[in-house]
Amino acid sequence: VIRLVTLEKIDPTDMAFLTRTLFQAFGLGTEFAGDKPVPPEAETKDGRLDAVKLLKEVESIRTFADDKVLYITAAPLALAPGPLGEPPCWGFADYGKDRAVISTSKLPARGVTEASIEAYRRRLAREAIHAVGHLWDLHHCYDARCAMHPSWSPSLPANPEMDLCSFCREKSERKIRLAKT
Amino acid sequence: MRGPPARHPDETREQLPAVEGVIADAAELRPGDRVVYPNQGVCAIVGIEDKDIAGQKLQLVRMRREEDGAAVLVPKGKVPSIGLRRVATGDQIEGVFHYLAAQFDDPELDWKVRHRDNADRLIAGGVLGVAEVVKGLHSLSRIRPLPAKEREQYDNARHLLVHEVAVSLSVPAGLAEDYIDYALMPPDGVKFDLKPPPTPVLLPSRPKKRRPVVEEEGEIGDLGLADLGLGDLDLEGALAGDAPVVPEVLGAEGAEGAEAEGAEGAETAKAPPEDAEAAADDDEDEDELPPPRKSAARAAKAEPAKKEKKAPAKKAEKPAPKKAAPVARADAKKKAAPAKKAEKPEKKPAPKRGGKKK
Repeated sequence: VIRLVTLEKIDPTDMAFLTRTLFQAFGLGTEFAGDKPVPPEAETKDGRLDAVKLLKEVESIRTFADDKVLYITAAPLALAPGPLGEPPCWGFADYGKDRAVISTSKLPARGVTEASIEAYRRRLAREAIHAVGHLWDLHHCYDARCAMHPSWSPSLPANPEMDLCSFCREKSERKIRLAKT
Repeated sequence: MRGPPARHPDETREQLPAVEGVIADAAELRPGDRVVYPNQGVCAIVGIEDKDIAGQKLQLVRMRREEDGAAVLVPKGKVPSIGLRRVATGDQIEGVFHYLAAQFDDPELDWKVRHRDNADRLIAGGVLGVAEVVKGLHSLSRIRPLPAKEREQYDNARHLLVHEVAVSLSVPAGLAEDYIDYALMPPDGVKFDLKPPPTPVLLPSRPKKRRPVVEEEGEIGDLGLADLGLGDLDLEGALAGDAPVVPEVLGAEGAEGAEAEGAEGAETAKAPPEDAEAAADDDEDEDELPPPRKSAARAAKAEPAKKEKKAPAKKAEKPAPKKAAPVARADAKKKAAPAKKAEKPEKKPAPKRGGKKK
């Protein structure tokens, strides 16, 4: 089961859309598991949240074997700089483990029109699929139409798809099947 | 230190410079050391243990793959040859990132060469070899989608690289992958201050297979006819349009070729029984002959005894057109071939019908 936990309130209709999309993407039951507070240890000096620390310190929820927990926050996330600098952070997942976090801070503004809300929801769903995909051992994909393509890539279209490519889908299905056994 | 393993058992081992960090002797290993097993990933040394396998006492190095805890056992004597190496150092990893972020030359477009070289790089190329595979296939994917096999290889290489970078930099794998893709696909407006990338990994050479040289059709200088005992045939004259000489063996091949094109020439179906018998013999022979349109070199392998059999068979066929129209030899040649074409459809359908009945 994929469990969604919010660190700030989000619209219930957005949450309903998100759970439905995640269910379609992975074929797993998806449910909203409530709100949790932001751990103060994760806050950085520039007002962002350290994604790695956040996943370590955030309050856990009751889970069972093979459950995946996705935290959603509105605050911008930060990552430790690497050899070539700090990569942009839309979300972060413990690869192959059970916790991931995504931020809505870089998504297009939700707005009030149907079109803008739809665009916001689709992008939120894409980031959620991307993060949960990492939890199921998926790596980044070179296909810009796949949800596993890096979110900062210059080749990403303006309204990216919220589906996995056939390779990533098959791989995730294989992993899920193995996990179920 | 030994280089990467030779590809063929009969090939002498090439002495290429070993990849940095390769473990040359199992005595260097201590429990708790972290090593990289090519194509498997980062492993932790558990210890050395003795085992009795198939009546042999073996000393095995036991490792535990960090990713999933799988046990890996390697005979102590095999450690130098499997390419076991230490986890990449900080300098190596920095070189890898500068390599990933650098402009890439045109990728190898011959998929066979590419796939083979990439497999070699994954085994014997160290962390830079793995990065080369990721970079190369990533660049290629921008030109066209990767075929399934290479997509798998790309994913495996990426997996190995992510885990080695994560272990080397002591960061989570998810973060290591972000670092790698930040270098591979920098966002718009981001430019890196890059150092010259490290020299590419040397790969052992492969023996080149020579393809048989196919001569142009125009050249009939050496078709191996001398080996068949037909060296005195005037083929050049025949091609030039002179009086045609119908060589028996070649005529049989021509008839077969014509058969392949389809049965025609109904008038020749009324061939005399002698011809039919001859054709029957010819059929038997043809079964053992090389198929039509194959090179003369293959025809040369046919047994000489069969050639002797063919010759009278063809001679028996020749008189029929001569009696019908003694016009010219050219016409005779044209009709001789259809005569066989017509005979064969009569014989061949029979076993087919039998087959259908069954």
